[in-house]
Amino acid sequence: MEKLIIEKTKSSPYIFFNPEERLLKIYGESFPENAAKFYAPVLDWVKDYLEQLDGQEVNVEMEIIYFNSSTSKVFMNFFQMLDDAAAEGNKITINWRCHEENEAAIECGEEFMEDLENVPFNIMVFKGE
Amino acid sequence: MSFDLLNFYEEIKKDGIMFCYSGPISQSTVEGIGETLRINMKLEDAGITTANTVFSIFVEQMHNILNYSAERIGQDSESRQQLSLGVLVIGREEKDFYVFCGNRLLNEDVPKLRERIESIRFLDKDELKAIYKQKRRESSDSDSKGAGLGLIEMARKAEKPIEYEFRPLNEIYTFFSIKVVV
Repeated sequence: MEKLIIEKTKSSPYIFFNPEERLLKIYGESFPENAAKFYAPVLDWVKDYLEQLDGQEVNVEMEIIYFNSSTSKVFMNFFQMLDDAAAEGNKITINWRCHEENEAAIECGEEFMEDLENVPFNIMVFKGE
Repeated sequence: MSFDLLNFYEEIKKDGIMFCYSGPISQSTVEGIGETLRINMKLEDAGITTANTVFSIFVEQMHNILNYSAERIGQDSESRQQLSLGVLVIGREEKDFYVFCGNRLLNEDVPKLRERIESIRFLDKDELKAIYKQKRRESSDSDSKGAGLGLIEMARKAEKPIEYEFRPLNEIYTFFSIKVVV
């Protein structure tokens, strides 16, 4: 599968999905004008990618400083897809990275974690820059 | 000139208003004002959590204007040529910050919105969390450009119940305003 790379803008994150490294990265801010529309091709890619997995390890790494409510819905959808794939035996791990001072991001991570059953969801709090 | 700009400037300053914007809004307006707002909150020594909360309520409210204002310039909703009109005020009252926005709505859209606000206005934080999570998993209304989560998100972050008003303008439009205190 081809990589999926989307550069960041002021209101949308950097997306780097690399099948070779089995790494899906989303970094930055997310409050696009229309989150469902912005993420539609991203979720399409994820769907195709998960379908062709056969038990390999996949790491999902996210560091989101801020995201709006409609992005939250898209992320839930994304995590649910990963959760379903994990239920089918794929070794997927989600690492939700947040700065120790970003209480909102930590709390949001906890709320996602509460709603997932199969996929390991790690909240990784870091200090400094 | 009949409009006294200096008087306007002094009045809003006296009222503790930090930001005031009225006119056409696009996604770039949200990004630009948002960037300045973040710097401003830092300079106001608001604390990171308060600053983040004000920023997030600002984004939700601006997106509401962007998506739901009944007053628009430009016809083509697919291209980026369309602008939505509304008014934004961010200010301080005593120790609290507030985000206060307004825009026109079609009269026919008023009852549904009123019901949505009233249904969540007096819920406690746990109830809001539960309804937020439930809505987040539902598929969106076809007529909704957002996720329908914005109001709940604001209510969760608000220090006091959301204040709002519908003021009828004529047989077509109502002016809707919403104030969230952080």
